[in-house]
Amino acid sequence: MKPARHPWLLTAIAVLITVAFLLPIYWMVKTSLTEPDRILAGSPRWIPAPLTTENYSAALEDDALLQALRNSLVISCGVVAITLLLGVPISYALARVRMRGSGAMVLALLVAQLPPSIVLAAPLFILERRAGIDDTYIGLIAADTTLTLPFAVIVLRPVLRGVPRELEEAALVDGCGLTGVLLRIVLPLMVPGLVAVAGLSFLIGWGEFVFGLTLAQDPDVQPVTVLLNAFVGQHGTSWGRLMATATLISIPVVCIFAIFQRFIVGGLTAGSIRG
Amino acid sequence: MLSPRRLVPRRLAPRLLASRPPTPRPPSARLRRAGYLFSLPSLAFLALFLVYPLLYNVWMSVHDVALRGLLGEATRFNGLANYRAIVSDPDFWHSARLSVVFTLGSLLFQFTIGFALALLFARPFPLNGLLRSLLLVAWLLPPIVSGTLFRWMLDGESGAYNALLRAAGLGSLSHDWLIEPGTSLAGVVFANVWIGVPFNMLLILVGLHTIDPELHEAAAIDGAGAWKRFRWITLPLMLPVSVMVLLLGLVYTFKVFDVIFVMTGGGPVDATTVLSLYVYEVFFRFFRFGEGAAAGLLLLIVPLVAGSIYVLRLRGEGEAA
Repeated sequence: MKPARHPWLLTAIAVLITVAFLLPIYWMVKTSLTEPDRILAGSPRWIPAPLTTENYSAALEDDALLQALRNSLVISCGVVAITLLLGVPISYALARVRMRGSGAMVLALLVAQLPPSIVLAAPLFILERRAGIDDTYIGLIAADTTLTLPFAVIVLRPVLRGVPRELEEAALVDGCGLTGVLLRIVLPLMVPGLVAVAGLSFLIGWGEFVFGLTLAQDPDVQPVTVLLNAFVGQHGTSWGRLMATATLISIPVVCIFAIFQRFIVGGLTAGSIRG
Repeated sequence: MLSPRRLVPRRLAPRLLASRPPTPRPPSARLRRAGYLFSLPSLAFLALFLVYPLLYNVWMSVHDVALRGLLGEATRFNGLANYRAIVSDPDFWHSARLSVVFTLGSLLFQFTIGFALALLFARPFPLNGLLRSLLLVAWLLPPIVSGTLFRWMLDGESGAYNALLRAAGLGSLSHDWLIEPGTSLAGVVFANVWIGVPFNMLLILVGLHTIDPELHEAAAIDGAGAWKRFRWITLPLMLPVSVMVLLLGLVYTFKVFDVIFVMTGGGPVDATTVLSLYVYEVFFRFFRFGEGAAAGLLLLIVPLVAGSIYVLRLRGEGEAA
């Protein structure tokens, strides 16, 4: 599209829209920094004065929140590890080796993304209990990985196809097995792809709620999303503390996005609709 | 160096299927064996934690499974009784109607607003990339966080949106949005649209970039104004992309659970109990496992149909390319 005649006018419009759109996020942070007895004032103030960290200390005094944040960290890291461990080899096989049924496998991975979590949570609730892995990190990590693994393969397969074949063929001729080629030649070349899949898997694990709600009753394993939901029920009107908790949960998300946004945003806009 | 365009969020991932078919090379038997070995762990995992549970769900849906079933007591086959119980439950149809309204409302607004924003961001201007990234944060926040946030924004007494309405002299329009039965569904749609807009914008933006700028230039030389060019060039060329974005949106919106759950818990009474919450209630609150499983499979229909059309179109495009 041709350059606009007044590019800064467009910037002004876009800034206004962005500010209006992100008002809820500003409001979350603002509320979390406002003194509790000023939050419920009849006419809300747009700027918090005086600033206070009271809500954060109140939220963090609660051991349950710290435990839940730890749980979410363990679960998300587990999801990332299992997703990469399982996802990289199959992506490589689907990208490089002509196998019977590989088309069907890719199709199955697409369809695997369709079922609503609650439909899977119902049978998993019973099956995991029978297997004795309800209320465990393993049970939650496995459930979350059903969300991340299909997407990881679908994203990684084209990345692996982008690795020049000649390098691998030379290594194969030199007597490397497929495992050797994958570990020594391919993996180092696909680090950016791995990092992005890891980042997105982490975000999915961090934000997951349905499995956390249904497959874990023990506060020692429940993720922080479940805790936030419980807080909403218990402290329905302590908005300062609730918003401090919500802000704390959002910080890792914003950090990871800030690190990977080049891949996520740049990727989507630079490519065509079919990637 | 790999191109970053290949790295896309989960919700866009399916379209990557359409990448070119594998370059055929005769693999040795050893390679093929290694390929199967590489695929095996993932397939075993998905069989165990995805396929088997879903099949077990089908089994439960035709058996009389209640709380005792959990303890391993014998359950008996009861044919379609669970399905009959669900489809004769007025609450099920109430939830189905709510799901349709929630989905259509969310899609309509997130798509049109996303389209409008995409038209703006398709033009070059300073800070374009930064502002676009900032908008995306809304989509990446955990839905439970966004839901909690909107519970506060839409609060009747001290909510920011009511304060804005009052400040604009429209205080008469303020509501206790999530508490009043008449406005609670609008409230959850509003929050869900907020989450969905950046994603729609991004996909449509990608589509807009595939339109050859020369078309617009030629039309402009022929005297076509901005509206005419939009109506006769942009819109028709964006139709296939729009269909895909809407299909994908349909799959994801019909599944929504967490945002609504944290905002209203399905209430007041049952004003926002969409199908996913209905399934949760039957299965996890009343422990009617057989009926809950049947309801879950009925909930599966819409995402499965929409998703299949999506995948088929994707394949079609892939072959045509």
